Amino acid sequence: MTAFFLTLAGAALAVGLELLEALAIVLAVAAERGRRDALIGAAGAVALLALVGFVVGPVVLARIPLEPLQVVIGVALLLFGLEWLRKGVLRLAGRRAPSSALAEYLEEREVLHALDPPPPGRPDWPARIVAGKGVLLEGLEVVLIVAALGAGEEGLAPALAGAAVAVVAVIAIGIVVHRPLARLPESHLKYAVGVVLSAFGVFFLAEGLGVEWPGGDAALLYLAAALVAASQLQVTGLAREAPA
Amino acid sequence: MIAQLRKLVLGETWTLPLGVAITLLAGLALDAAGPDWWHRAGGFILLGGALATLAASLRRR
Repeated sequence: MTAFFLTLAGAALAVGLELLEALAIVLAVAAERGRRDALIGAAGAVALLALVGFVVGPVVLARIPLEPLQVVIGVALLLFGLEWLRKGVLRLAGRRAPSSALAEYLEEREVLHALDPPPPGRPDWPARIVAGKGVLLEGLEVVLIVAALGAGEEGLAPALAGAAVAVVAVIAIGIVVHRPLARLPESHLKYAVGVVLSAFGVFFLAEGLGVEWPGGDAALLYLAAALVAASQLQVTGLAREAPA
Repeated sequence: MIAQLRKLVLGETWTLPLGVAITLLAGLALDAAGPDWWHRAGGFILLGGALATLAASLRRR
């Protein structure tokens, strides 16, 4: 049950935060250059992502035997998780700008504002490409994280349920955009995702290498606790070093 | 685009993929050597590797 709920929570947070960034880009394109081209660009990227999801999940991961698969997934989750955690530590220590989908939205609008619009009646390819690229890059991480979390013993169900919760939440934020976007403690949420993904990474990698965790799935809890404790020490140390 | 994809998969610093690779190689070597304690306590070695990798990546920015 521990693994089920942590998978669900980890997938929901990771997918939600990535989708929020993709949404910020699509909304910026829609506001600056028109809804139609933003949606066409986003739809193209979603179609490509569906193809990648099919190739990564049912075609590649389903054919790898369990133990090597756990090693592959463990390494992938460690690479993603430690990167999120590294950035999270730097943000919490004041060594990196806080994560903000709202800032990204404003930045994208500024970039698009500087580009010349196409002649009337012609497709706006720059707008489509900006929206498509944003959705593709953020979505690719979503596909890889959900596939990796879904490759555990609990199967895809908790990862997909978490992703579904995130999609609903992000759509709700998209409908009443701006205020919720500014209020979200994104840096803290991303730090939490880093902890969860790294805990799963160590857990799967060890299981793939024949290790039996004391306490079974509950090991995820003490792994997460150890990662929080060690990373908070880093936050304190870096914050102390930070110039005033 | 390629640079962004590389950043997405490998992160912003080479320290992380390098640290994860060293942790993996150490794990594979210990698993192959098969000491008794590995199956009970090997996970904590890997956790130590992950924490050391994180610490190194924060020092080399």
